[in-house]
Amino acid sequence: MRPFQYLAPFPSFRYLAPKSVGELLDSLEVGGEGSVVIAGGTDLMMALKERTTTPDAVIDISRLGRELGGIRKGGGALRIGALTTFAEIEASQLVDRFAEALKTAAANVGTLQIRNLATIGGNLATASPAGDSAPPLIALGARVKILSRSGERTVPVESFFRGVKKNALLRGEVVAEVALPAREGVSSAWARGAVRNENALSTVSVAVSASIANGRFGESRVALGAVAPTPMLAEKSSKLMTEGDATAEKAEEVAALAAEEARPITDIRASAAYRKRLVFVLTRRLIAGLLSEAGAA
Amino acid sequence: MSGKVRARFKLNGEDVTAEMEPNQTLCDYLHDVAEKTGVKKGCDTGECGACTVLMDDKPVTSCLVLAPQVDGREVVTVEGLGTKSRPSPVQWAFVELDAVQCGYCIPGMIVTLSWILEHAPQASDSEVRRLMSGNLCRCTGYLQQVEAVRRAAKRAAAGGAPEPHDIY
Ligand SMILES: Cc1cc2nc3c(=O)[nH]c(=O)nc-3n(C[C@@H](O)[C@@H](O)[C@H](O)COP(=O)(O)OP(=O)(O)OC[C@H]3O[C@@H](n4cnc5c(N)ncnc54)[C@H](O)[C@@H]3O)c2cc1C
Ligand code: FES
Ligand code: FES
Repeated sequence: MRPFQYLAPFPSFRYLAPKSVGELLDSLEVGGEGSVVIAGGTDLMMALKERTTTPDAVIDISRLGRELGGIRKGGGALRIGALTTFAEIEASQLVDRFAEALKTAAANVGTLQIRNLATIGGNLATASPAGDSAPPLIALGARVKILSRSGERTVPVESFFRGVKKNALLRGEVVAEVALPAREGVSSAWARGAVRNENALSTVSVAVSASIANGRFGESRVALGAVAPTPMLAEKSSKLMTEGDATAEKAEEVAALAAEEARPITDIRASAAYRKRLVFVLTRRLIAGLLSEAGAA
Repeated sequence: MSGKVRARFKLNGEDVTAEMEPNQTLCDYLHDVAEKTGVKKGCDTGECGACTVLMDDKPVTSCLVLAPQVDGREVVTVEGLGTKSRPSPVQWAFVELDAVQCGYCIPGMIVTLSWILEHAPQASDSEVRRLMSGNLCRCTGYLQQVEAVRRAAKRAAAGGAPEPHDIY
């Protein structure tokens, strides 16, 4: 492991605290390459301490919650502001209703103290292969809303990641919100394997969403975390599940295909073979759970 | 190119206006500059919880907060929860139950458990353990600490805190 050097204070930088999103976008445009934003700080503070980030300016967005925070339903979508913390997501009835997988994942992030700081926007922007918010969001078909001085664009969560710790943000852009279709009758679930129950990065995480009616799965999605350079949509498994028979046999087939689609590496947390096995077991278990919830098996 | 930053915030109930270096953690600021030495630095990586304080009434690891992020917020350290002669309910239960060995983790632990007592007094033992998983103790084994929340909760339900004593 890399030897850490937590020498405080860390290298100096300018500290900016824009009072509105408008001011923020101006600062970003002026700041350019040498500036970074800080939200909850749970990743950025570590990067500053480790000197993996040595910015000229740190732009504090943590007090812009009025514009960039909050959970609401609007335009047929569940909208979660970038500054929403995992503690807020865990406690939200709207998330419970439309995005159960995300609620379960949020409740499992880090510790109480981390969930009170860590934001969903920061979790996505960090683009860790093991980030726990991504698989549920991908399974639920969420899109990231990105803002800059030149306007707004949205991308599907699965296309937001461009590699280990690389995201699709261009200079001057911030994550403003994630939005997912708020559909009745769609259930979703999330599970992970980790070296212990609390405060451990996921060794593997899986999220599944589906509707079940008349003995068949409707549109279904399987998403995987920590088994590839980025969180990923398991496309073939999702296709196999969609319109398939809502049976335990189908769950087993989908799980086996998901394990095939996973492209894990061996690292300090687990071997590649163990990760594939976990993908199979967790996927099967999650689909079985959705089936029994629907009274279909 | 750095330069001090002005932050106005509440610290243990008092209004503070501070000119601070931005390139430090809230943990270091509170301990070294504001002299709230109950704020301990254990890991400096967000894992151990020794640096836990309440920010806007939520437990957070102050080693992961950039000091000027406190501007406009309210911070409570263990010093703001109770004193020697007026211990808080959780502090009092810790004394009664011998929930302390070396003591390093205790200020952070008390901050988290006091929050649990206030916001989730009905939590089951396993939920208390889940909520306190961000406070590591290398000495005690956590039994007395879980018991301390129980006892403080029972006492609150039965009509309140014990009479203030000098505990030494
Ligand atoms: C002890 C500990 C345990 C953890 N456990 C887990 C876990 O179980 N699961 C998990 O997934 N994660 C875990 N994490 C990481 C998790 O806390 C972070 O990924 C968090 O969600 C990041 O959000 P933040 O607000 O803290 O981001 P910050 O640290 O403020 O920022 C992170 C990065 O994102 C950028 N950024 C932040 N917000 C935006 C925005 N709106 N637009 C553009 N860029 C932005 C910043 O510039 C920075 O590069 C853990 C961290 C710690 C320290
Ligand atoms: S010192 Fe902050 S969590 Fe350990
Ligand atoms: S009493 Fe020693 S670490 Fe907890």
